[in-house]
Amino acid sequence: MSSVARDRVRELMGEVMTAQGRSLPADDGAELRTIGFRSLDFSELALRVEDELGDELNFDAPGLRRIATVGDVLDFIEQLQTA
Amino acid sequence: MTTRRRTTALIGDDNTVVVAGKSLTWRTLHKLPQLPSPAAVLVDNGADALAALRHHAVHGTELLVATSSRVDEYMREELGESGFSIVLPGGDVTPARLKRVEESGRAWLLTSGSTGRPKRIGHTLESLTTVTADQPPRTWLLPYSPGTYAWWQVVTISLTQQDQGLVVIEPHELEDWPLTAAQHGVTAASGTPTFWRQAIYRDSEALAAVPLEQITLGGEPVDQPILDQLRDLFPKARISWIYASSEVGASIVVHDGKAGFPREWLQRTPDPDRPMLSVEGDELVIRSPHHGAGLVGAVHTGDRIEYDGDRVLITGRLDTDEINVGGSKVSAGVVRNVLMGHPGVSWARVFARKAPLVGRMVAAEVVSNQSLGPITDADLVQWCSSRLPDYGVPRRIKFLDEIPQKETLKSDV
Repeated sequence: MSSVARDRVRELMGEVMTAQGRSLPADDGAELRTIGFRSLDFSELALRVEDELGDELNFDAPGLRRIATVGDVLDFIEQLQTA
Repeated sequence: MTTRRRTTALIGDDNTVVVAGKSLTWRTLHKLPQLPSPAAVLVDNGADALAALRHHAVHGTELLVATSSRVDEYMREELGESGFSIVLPGGDVTPARLKRVEESGRAWLLTSGSTGRPKRIGHTLESLTTVTADQPPRTWLLPYSPGTYAWWQVVTISLTQQDQGLVVIEPHELEDWPLTAAQHGVTAASGTPTFWRQAIYRDSEALAAVPLEQITLGGEPVDQPILDQLRDLFPKARISWIYASSEVGASIVVHDGKAGFPREWLQRTPDPDRPMLSVEGDELVIRSPHHGAGLVGAVHTGDRIEYDGDRVLITGRLDTDEINVGGSKVSAGVVRNVLMGHPGVSWARVFARKAPLVGRMVAAEVVSNQSLGPITDADLVQWCSSRLPDYGVPRRIKFLDEIPQKETLKSDV
């Protein structure tokens, strides 16, 4: 399966935020709670990544863990693509 | 067969019927070779369907008429085993496998199949003729697929009432029907909201040139924006929407130009000649005098309602309308109405899409009104965000080039 590069995932995350009238900070350490990135936003990001991949992400494999920062989201999506 | 057959007085036999550009009357339509009875007449054009219907009315035969594309091999077998001879386009006849006595005057309809395989519902010409009051002289457009409930509604008006002409639109003529309608002076037309939306989208000037006095919508949820658009184009026409199905017949007719029906109709005094409407949970329940055979009593329609002030809106099918987003429920029909309320949107379909964390998310397909300039998914998200709870806002929106439409004139919204 091809994959969507981390930088591109970040751009997609920015698009999700922009569509909600917010902006994505450059700092990967930014707290999701602070920037207002919620579960609906995460789900939308996953769909955007799936649309670019042309395939579904496999959420069963890695098991959910604590995702608190922008960097956590990018790591997690990266991990899902290699699962 | 010695039992007496039921026949119908064809008051409209001299009404004009335009088929394939030719102006005829019911009486001068071509005659089909002697049809067996019971017969399932499968047609590939509107003229043959009308000829089969007239034969049924004159001779009191048992008839199912449908386009051949709606009746697959499996269903043909099933019909043969139920006693129907199958009459194919071109006239070839496959005799019935089961020999049985006909039910004189029985007309069979196939449901649209939106809830699975099409079902067979028994009616008679009388139970299908729901417009019985005298009508002003009109020329009706007939865009519906032969054999559907909506098709029967229009053809029975023309066959049983004076001065009710018909202009038949074949599937290949659907894109340009306003030109044909204007040419033949069509003054009344009935179609699905998808049908009307497509006509506005393709060429609203050509549509406005049709001298319409009566506009009817049905077969799909009817939203306020399409009613308003039609009102703008036809300020003097009567605009009606009808809730009708093969099972319960025409049960709700609304002429006030508003989506939904008045809430007070749920409390009407029982009257055996009038459909009784009620709600169980979120489901519309109807007891109708126009019901199909064997469907006496309350019919659970499977359609979902939602209250909006003093109106009751029918938002869509119960099994597909409700989208559960992480435990919060939203009606696809309501979201669709919001999208359709955007001036730049000509058509929208709203559906659930599987998503992580929340299980399902709201997604949409949209056809934009290009004459009003480009719109983006961000524009629509913003529009919806100010009108819907956050879980109801479509998060993935795909733009299509044109409005999809099925043979039934519906678009599976």
